[in-house]
Amino acid sequence: MKRKLILAAGAAMVAASPIFAQTPAGGGGGTDWSHPFAYLAMGIASGLCGLGQGKAVASASEGMARNPGAAAAIRGALILGLVLIESLALYTLVITYVAK
Amino acid sequence: MPEHEVELWTTVLFNKFLAAPLTSFLTAIGHPPADPAHPWENWITMEILVVVIIMVLFAFLRSRLSVDKPGKLQLTFEAIYKFVSGQASESIDHHASKYVPFFGTLFIFILFMNLIGVIPGFEAPTMSPAVPLAFAIAVFLYYHWMGLREQGVGKYLAHFAGPMWQLAIIMIPIEIISHFARPLSLTIRLFANMFAGERVTITFLSLTYLVLPAVFMGLHVFVAFLQAFIFMLLAMIYVGTATAHEH
Repeated sequence: MKRKLILAAGAAMVAASPIFAQTPAGGGGGTDWSHPFAYLAMGIASGLCGLGQGKAVASASEGMARNPGAAAAIRGALILGLVLIESLALYTLVITYVAK
Repeated sequence: MPEHEVELWTTVLFNKFLAAPLTSFLTAIGHPPADPAHPWENWITMEILVVVIIMVLFAFLRSRLSVDKPGKLQLTFEAIYKFVSGQASESIDHHASKYVPFFGTLFIFILFMNLIGVIPGFEAPTMSPAVPLAFAIAVFLYYHWMGLREQGVGKYLAHFAGPMWQLAIIMIPIEIISHFARPLSLTIRLFANMFAGERVTITFLSLTYLVLPAVFMGLHVFVAFLQAFIFMLLAMIYVGTATAHEH
């Protein structure tokens, strides 16, 4: 089953090869690789940020369920943690704009 | 970074009447503007407008203060003050009330600046990278100054060496880099959140009308409140760690 999945993923990537035919956005010589890589970087950053925030929310929800009296403090720590994780994805967004 | 430079009505007004003084001031300090007829930019005129709005609001509040019969405005600002000073006393060990004016100003100023971007025809000054940078530098200087004042120069600098003197040789570069990373992260966090919020709303406005862009605009308002609160909270944490005494 695993080999079939790997073959299927490889076939999907080969099927996407028309992407090499697109005209470069920069005008004169050479292809401009910064655009697709910027999109890929943003996708990776958002995905990992989603994973991290999911873990944070999961632990906070479990803590609040176990100890409803401490819910306010846990909620405060949750908000702070979410914002700090979010800012990591936003650094990548800023780089995306700088690369353009 | 933003490629649009549509001049808002305030910027047009400022450029019409006050272009010459600002151009001569900027040239005198060595940074002449690119276009001498239009030296004012959107973010500085919006920031001045927010300052005027806040001052008028607080002057109005001051005239209505009453101990016996507080009005709704007074109750609102008492709630805001209680929130800020409660948060400060959680983060700072003692004498938290000395620092509350700075944190309250940070919170209200950044909140008003973030929210004025929601109104059409106005642009949030925090959308330009210069404004959050100025706040981050102010917070950086403030917490170092408070730390130096509270603990004295020698003891404060000895903090950078870490818990044991044997570790100082690796702790000092790490501490210096992390201290300089703080204003950088404060700036980028606030700027990117506001900028991305506007971009997301515009993107969805170009795709569909009515409901979906309004949802994203609501998210932007929530993020505006949250980012102002987080900026203030991080400033409190930095002041707290700078002035902490080990007992």
